[in-house]
Amino acid sequence: MKITFYPANKSTSVEKGASILSAALSAGIPLNASCGGDGVCGKCRVILKKGEVFSKASSLLTEEEKNKGVYLACLTSVMSDAEVEIPSASGFPSKDDIYFEPEIRDETQGRPIAAESFIRKVYLEQGLIEELHKALADEKKVSGIPQILSKETTITLAVTKDKAEVIRTEPGDSRSRNYGFAFDIGTTTVCGRLVDLNSGKTACSGSSYNMQVSLGSDIITRIVFAGKGEGLRILHESICGTVNRIIRGLADRGGINLEDVSCIVCSGNTTMIHFLLNKDPSKIRKEPCLEPSGLPFFSKAGESGITIGSNGLLVCLPGVSGYLGGDAVSGVLSCAMYRENALCALVDIGTNGEIILGNRDFLVGCAASAGPAFEGSGLSCGMRAEDGAIESVSVNKNDLNVSYSVIGKGSPKGICGSGYISLLASMLDSGLIDKNGRIKAEGSRIRPGDAGKEFVICLKEETGADIFISEADIDNLKRSKAAIYSAAAILARHLDLNLADVSKFFVSGGFGSSLDIEKAVSIGLLPDVEKERFVFIGNSSLSGATRALLSSCEMCEARAIASRITYFDLSSDPEYMDEYGQALFFPHTDLSRFSGKSRHDKPKGEEQHGN
Amino acid sequence: MEIEEILEKWSGGVYSVSIGACAEDGGSRKNTVRIGGQKSLPLLFKEGDIPNRPVIAFEIWDIPPQDWPEGLVSSYGKAPEDPLIWAQMCVKDFGARLLCLRLQGAHPDCGDKSPEECARFVSSLLEKVSVPLIIIGSGDDAKDNLVMPACSEAAKSERCLLGCATQENYKTLAASALADGHSIIAESPIDINIAKQLNILISDMGFALDRIVINPTIGALGYGLEYAYSIMERGRIAALSGDKTLSSPFICFTGQESWKAKEAKGGDKQGVIWEIITASSLIQAGADILVMRHPEAAKRVFGHISVLFGGNNSDH
Amino acid sequence: MPLSGLDIYKLLPKTNCRRCGLSTCLAFAMQLAKKTMSADKCPFISEQTKKLLEEQSQPAIRTLILGEGKDRFEAGGETVMFRHEEKFRNPCGIGFVIEDSLSDEEIASRVKKINSLKFERVGQVLDVNMVAVRQNSDQKRFVRATEIVMDSTGLPVVLMGSSPASLRQAASAASERKPLLYCATKDNFTQIASIAKDFRLPVVVSAPSLDELSYVTKELVSLGVDALLLDTGRKPLSEKIWDATQIRRQALKKANRALGYPEFVMAENDDPYEEAAEAAVHITKYASVIILKGIQSWEALSVLTLRQNIYTDPQKPLQIEPRLYPVGEAGENSPVLVTTNFSLTYYTVLGEVEASKIPSYIISVDTEGMSVLTAWAAEKFTAQAISDSLENSGIKKMIKHKNLIIPGYVAVLSGELEEKSGFKVIVGPKEAAGISSFLKNLN
Repeated sequence: MKITFYPANKSTSVEKGASILSAALSAGIPLNASCGGDGVCGKCRVILKKGEVFSKASSLLTEEEKNKGVYLACLTSVMSDAEVEIPSASGFPSKDDIYFEPEIRDETQGRPIAAESFIRKVYLEQGLIEELHKALADEKKVSGIPQILSKETTITLAVTKDKAEVIRTEPGDSRSRNYGFAFDIGTTTVCGRLVDLNSGKTACSGSSYNMQVSLGSDIITRIVFAGKGEGLRILHESICGTVNRIIRGLADRGGINLEDVSCIVCSGNTTMIHFLLNKDPSKIRKEPCLEPSGLPFFSKAGESGITIGSNGLLVCLPGVSGYLGGDAVSGVLSCAMYRENALCALVDIGTNGEIILGNRDFLVGCAASAGPAFEGSGLSCGMRAEDGAIESVSVNKNDLNVSYSVIGKGSPKGICGSGYISLLASMLDSGLIDKNGRIKAEGSRIRPGDAGKEFVICLKEETGADIFISEADIDNLKRSKAAIYSAAAILARHLDLNLADVSKFFVSGGFGSSLDIEKAVSIGLLPDVEKERFVFIGNSSLSGATRALLSSCEMCEARAIASRITYFDLSSDPEYMDEYGQALFFPHTDLSRFSGKSRHDKPKGEEQHGN
Repeated sequence: MEIEEILEKWSGGVYSVSIGACAEDGGSRKNTVRIGGQKSLPLLFKEGDIPNRPVIAFEIWDIPPQDWPEGLVSSYGKAPEDPLIWAQMCVKDFGARLLCLRLQGAHPDCGDKSPEECARFVSSLLEKVSVPLIIIGSGDDAKDNLVMPACSEAAKSERCLLGCATQENYKTLAASALADGHSIIAESPIDINIAKQLNILISDMGFALDRIVINPTIGALGYGLEYAYSIMERGRIAALSGDKTLSSPFICFTGQESWKAKEAKGGDKQGVIWEIITASSLIQAGADILVMRHPEAAKRVFGHISVLFGGNNSDH
Repeated sequence: MPLSGLDIYKLLPKTNCRRCGLSTCLAFAMQLAKKTMSADKCPFISEQTKKLLEEQSQPAIRTLILGEGKDRFEAGGETVMFRHEEKFRNPCGIGFVIEDSLSDEEIASRVKKINSLKFERVGQVLDVNMVAVRQNSDQKRFVRATEIVMDSTGLPVVLMGSSPASLRQAASAASERKPLLYCATKDNFTQIASIAKDFRLPVVVSAPSLDELSYVTKELVSLGVDALLLDTGRKPLSEKIWDATQIRRQALKKANRALGYPEFVMAENDDPYEEAAEAAVHITKYASVIILKGIQSWEALSVLTLRQNIYTDPQKPLQIEPRLYPVGEAGENSPVLVTTNFSLTYYTVLGEVEASKIPSYIISVDTEGMSVLTAWAAEKFTAQAISDSLENSGIKKMIKHKNLIIPGYVAVLSGELEEKSGFKVIVGPKEAAGISSFLKNLN
């Protein structure tokens, strides 16, 4: 059966009886299915334009919707060739499959990357083994050397502390073509980067939604999915599909041959790495403190279905525990807080948020299940930070009119994470919403909706897209920001420290080129300390992976960092729910923590009582 | 060596809230009831002023009570059949200085009385009794948003205590109470954070913090009492430490909760003591108003308060 | 000031060698700060550090064991002023006074009644802990009364003698039961100390002021008697609250060891209502042993229930027994709802079901006291677990339909649960507040 999806205009062929959700998956179109395709979340609504289907009854659809040909993709099987439209709320609005960053950020943070990559190419003019040893300078044990070497050979080596392994030999001098990939495997978004290992320069960067979003929006749902039938295989293939798609896209754009790529360094949360390596993640859910041992550091990319140069290596940066993964370790590497004397914090704002606190003496970390809201997913008009995304909004106090700016200057298509932060801050400031996130003002831009009231930012008639925020969206964002802030606050409290004691906050996340720190503070996502203490470092997981790719020293550091971080399990912390409850307010229930004025004052805990 | 007593030095205190307006304040009540105002934890008189003792409000309904155990209803004889007579009995026979009227009859399942009917009932009640009133809606948000503004207006200037505002439904009640000069009950589900958030939301509407009373949603003895107990202790400590957004007195619906208990449905004495212990233990956590149901339990708790505070001060 | 985890970490080798069984030294330091592990788990810790940590772990308030045998109990060992700060540790002992002026038969029957004061609530047995024998006449009668009490109960005994001589006689008769001596005062403490030492018994120290109390406890300690309880005598209730608060503050905040003992209160009152209300005050405000008069079971049940409530660990969710609970006159067509066994969740659901006035069945699944979403994430509230609960609850024989209402938050379990249980799953509301109207609109 041939199924065509609109507006993407992509087709795929599936067997009769396959669900529309699985067809979308095979067409490479991520659909919103936060329940993992169990027919209960009702988010994967699609409109049948043509063709015959068989659908199980669902009480989630109204009569009106049914009459309009709306179906739940997960409950609907195709019985003939069909054409299906995906409404924006069900899909993940995105111009291209892969969004290429227009500018390449300087990821070094002013800290040049020293020494060589562990991937090295050696040119042997005479094809003699002696030449190879000479080139390596020290007496490493080299394995995998072919019996016979022709003259004028380039050997690609993976060099670690005490040994070197030949990955590939090829005729001629190919030293000028030595590339690697760095990847951040997020729960919602996957980002990749093509790096020239000779110059250390990034050729191009691109990101795409993790295709697994069609199989559940959070990692628990996906772990459950993995436990059923072919679930693990499907999840594995889905993440490999996403990675390979980005790999091909980057190679095309960078104009390079994949044969010249010898390595891919991945960082991601422990669950994602399990899926990437096709390993059963079920133990993560049972024992969150579990050490992520059993995951190989080095493996052959091909064995996991990742397509790079022949015999290429896959490196997965090690994690700390089941819920604190290699992405956090990579982040610590990237911001180098592990070398600082002063107390630092790394706040990674993602679907699986991570907080690391510490300095050269100690490192502690915890995970915060924040959900995908700040990645522009799961919201009525959310999208990634890419062309067409509203990245800042301001609401006029008097008439509630709005002005906004759009990435790429074109017409707006949705709102990205930084846009939502800016919008919330402005809605609060103008009195449009109360501190609980309920729309309290009235006016022409406010209308009733399915999920509470809605505030309209632009109307279809004006811009071609109906862009709004609903009270349910605000609740969703409120929960996300509360998860991040409260995780940071409780982690500090665990150590009898205060967030105000932290002298440097490294903030990371997929917010595109910028994040308005002041706005993030004003909604209570980040603690209220002097603006100068914050450094926005973009996608720190990706930059850490890049550093590890470019420098064998930094790769060793990553392993050392992973063993140094002490993990705290928030779910077993009796105070966590209280701290989270306090953070479910704009900016926070304890207003004294967000006074903005008394910035040198220590926040008052409510249990302090003059003794 | 003499032992030096350890005294807490509190920077804050509980707001003092006054219920009922006499003629000089533009109302028609014969007495007013003042609660709160503490600058110390319960009963620690040496550490700070405790100007008011906890008060008991008798709970009455605008319709004959439903689902009350037989032994409880019969303690009022036949009076509950006519709520106005019932109210007068509480004042005259049992010495109530404060009544808590629940407009249960407005609930869609219990008669669905119109806002006008409810307002008329409030007016008649104000004529029949001269004590201050607490007026509580039926518990159905949509209906209460119609009924409470009408009742608020009917009791204008009487400085009643109106309830219960919740985080999802506070604006209508707060606006009415503000317009008609009443105070308000802010109800939160055994959650100190929501209690605080709701106080902030209500005060953001222009409501003075000293006109809010917190209903922390208690559980009866044996039914989660300890949750509310600790929430109240924490709230009171926060108030005394200077957190103005938690510096409101507490109202506890001890009667309503106690008489739901399985134990209270059995023997009469078991029910009465259940209500007494629920109330007396919450006094230790900082309860300011105890809304009670059984006249014997009310009498005993009144006696207990006299033991705690000394004397038999009948002003409260 | 107790050392924080970071303070302790600075004293550790920081090698992350994992010999203690934890992945980092900091993780170990945090456990030491919480006193959940002992310092000797680290093979590289210095003697000096070890000593420092041991001093740290000395409790500010002594824990005493009262009585002998299976009915003995622990009193004291409290660490906080307010239960939300951590928890109150050892539930206060509830005892009843028996006058030796009663006849032998009256004493025996009163003790029998005391023995029978046992109740079961939410899966826990609530029982009383002590019998106090009070001397009203001569020594002989006091000893005789003590013997009758000893013969009639295994509960720990308090001997309330009117003179040291009587106490010695009774103590000798009851010595194998390790009775509690009442009481040592500034005038008689040397004599009481000698009885206590001879029979190795705990002692109640009684004095009207904290100064005098601490004087007597110090003297007793110097005489080698340190199993003590403190009593400030009969006073107005608010003064008792003040005393109890001061004693605990002195112990916890000033580490005043002379007052670092559990508190003993005589709270007798002829009126059972008043007595229970006073007992409530002492349960909430710091008593470790309370002696009452009223032995009616309705009074005892209310007092014991309050003790259970106040001594519940606030950080450990109270669980209810996982089983089938009928609500109202539930019958074969009544709806069936499933929820967790976290008591707050269960009682919230119960309240809403009752409010709907629709007779129903609630099945609580053993989720180890976790709420719905937490239990789901931790794999305790799964299709299998729910299906097993349905099977074991016997619900299948009690109803004619096969419909099951599950919490909206775990809608995702629907499919698997239908397969496993054979029930038709109806997804209920996410929040309990919606249950009442949901039930009313069912069908």
